Amino acid sequence: MEKLFQAVYGGILYGSIYGLMAIGLTLIWGSLRMLNMAMGALYVVGGFLTWTAYKQWDLPPLVAIAIGVLAAAVIGLLIQVLLINRLLGRSSFFNAAMIATVGAAIMIESAALLIYGPRVKQMPPIVAGQSKIIGVVIQYQNLVIIAVTVISLIALSIFLKKTRYGLAIQAVSQQMDAARLMGIPTVMTFMIVATIGAAFAGLAGSLLSSVFYVSPTAGYAPLTKALIVTIFGGLGSIKGTIWAAYIIGILEAFLIVYFGAGFALPVLFLFMILMLVIRPSGLFGLGEVQRL
Amino acid sequence: MMQETALSESGANRTAQRLDPAAVPWAKPSRIGLAAAILTLLVLPWVLNSFSTGRFAIHLLILFFVWGIVTQSWNLILGVGGIFSFAQVAFFVIGGLASGVVAQQFGVSPFLSIWLAPIAATLAALLIGLPSLRLRGPYVVLLTLAFAELVRNFATQGPKWVAGGGYGLRDVPKFGFENLWGATTGRVAYYYAAMILFLITTYVIWRIFYSPIGMSFRALRDSETYATSRGVDPYRFKLLLFALSAFFTGLAGGFLLHYNGSQAPTILNFPLTINLLAMIVLGGWGTFWGPILGTALLTALPEILRGPLENWRNMGMGLSLALIAVFAPEGLFPILSRGFKKFFGRKDKAKAS
Repeated sequence: MEKLFQAVYGGILYGSIYGLMAIGLTLIWGSLRMLNMAMGALYVVGGFLTWTAYKQWDLPPLVAIAIGVLAAAVIGLLIQVLLINRLLGRSSFFNAAMIATVGAAIMIESAALLIYGPRVKQMPPIVAGQSKIIGVVIQYQNLVIIAVTVISLIALSIFLKKTRYGLAIQAVSQQMDAARLMGIPTVMTFMIVATIGAAFAGLAGSLLSSVFYVSPTAGYAPLTKALIVTIFGGLGSIKGTIWAAYIIGILEAFLIVYFGAGFALPVLFLFMILMLVIRPSGLFGLGEVQRL
Repeated sequence: MMQETALSESGANRTAQRLDPAAVPWAKPSRIGLAAAILTLLVLPWVLNSFSTGRFAIHLLILFFVWGIVTQSWNLILGVGGIFSFAQVAFFVIGGLASGVVAQQFGVSPFLSIWLAPIAATLAALLIGLPSLRLRGPYVVLLTLAFAELVRNFATQGPKWVAGGGYGLRDVPKFGFENLWGATTGRVAYYYAAMILFLITTYVIWRIFYSPIGMSFRALRDSETYATSRGVDPYRFKLLLFALSAFFTGLAGGFLLHYNGSQAPTILNFPLTINLLAMIVLGGWGTFWGPILGTALLTALPEILRGPLENWRNMGMGLSLALIAVFAPEGLFPILSRGFKKFFGRKDKAKAS
């Protein structure tokens, strides 16, 4: 019972973390059909800015998180305006966008190195304290992470379903040409999507800076995980990404609790390879729609 | 450009399995130029050895040869085949592990065990190539990333004779040239060994590039439907592509292991993969000389920029990648060669008239 609870709790925590990182990637894929490799760097931006605001400017934690998210969103928008918008409509868009975002990621990472130095930074927990439920130690900051994730995912889905801009994003990701014919400004939509995606990466970075350390290269691990979650769930499908995040999180937690940490990753990756062989476009992928 | 059109026209004669003579540039490279290049490469280490900084320069050249092999074969799969495989460094590590473990555990001479490296890498590539045949574009990224993570997991947390408790393989027998001929000559011997591997790889890839096989790879990349309908078997050719690309990468991995005497599992981390990708992109993705040029630039430049600019060189690399993607997506080599041709082409015309 104790183990089961531990596994479920850990799974929901991991799933929330993966979901935050992956949702931006999937949104951007949905409308732009590109992999944003700068997501890891935006995660680092969120983490560092939150740390600076909290530790050096002595701002309250919520304001510090808002600053981190805002900074990541602004940089994400800059990447979109300065680089990606210039590539739109090219035949080699997928390659060029991937390379451009890798370049942006390297620039952000080296800027972080120049400003903050190579040493790792850690935020104190936003909400200190812990309690024991059914023999499992539960830290309050983890509960905050889960709550923030769930709330922001719900907010995102309301935004996508109820507002004009959200509907525009959905229309563009379903049929870009038709959306354009209906008078939806696609470039504007792309910019909104890029900003939201970057904000989510920044949110992940600023929330997790109190759980993990922040360093200029801290973004690679969450980027890899997010890529795997996104593609596993099916690129462009938000429902699929959220399912995938929690499935992978819970699977990982169960493997760790019952078989030990050494087994978790290999089994997880084997599972993913098998799953891709069975369903080549992910759990809820957009399928073989080819854009010519 | 001329080559490209000649090649695509010759597609009409595919039943004869022969290319137009104009599309067979390997028959054409000037012998004098080739001989001069090889002679320079042969003499270079002896010249460098007489300088005080030459020792490090030779080491850099050896690294250039090793990474040149890897980028050329990765370019084969990424640029020519258009398959987004991110498992190249994993093949490199598998090659190193196969050769290193056998040499260390069974006391086999590295000259024999290194031949296991390409074989192991090729087998791994076939294993991962088979399921990725069903996938498209970004889904191949996932499969190969997951495979690379699996390999990294094995290399860091596997049994002690592989992972060495997280430090990777250490104290692997080296080729031992330095014991045979002393440090100076030994260094040159390592250089020659790396150079020979590099030249063989370059020659084979050159042949593949301008052959019906390379043509089929490109056709599959540009339009799989059309290529298949013209009789190119996608499964056979993609598997061949994976195997070829992994073969040389594994060989390079084996060589670097027995040159360094160790292999840290950290080379499977993201930065090296991105660096190699940057070499291909900077030089020219999908072109023959691109990866070689890119490897040379990105091996030499960081060392030249050492000192006052040290902190800024990564920034410069990121900036140049972004600029290349926006302003020159085909890479530096096509631009340079166009400029070169323009400059010399005018001269030729002036002579003729």
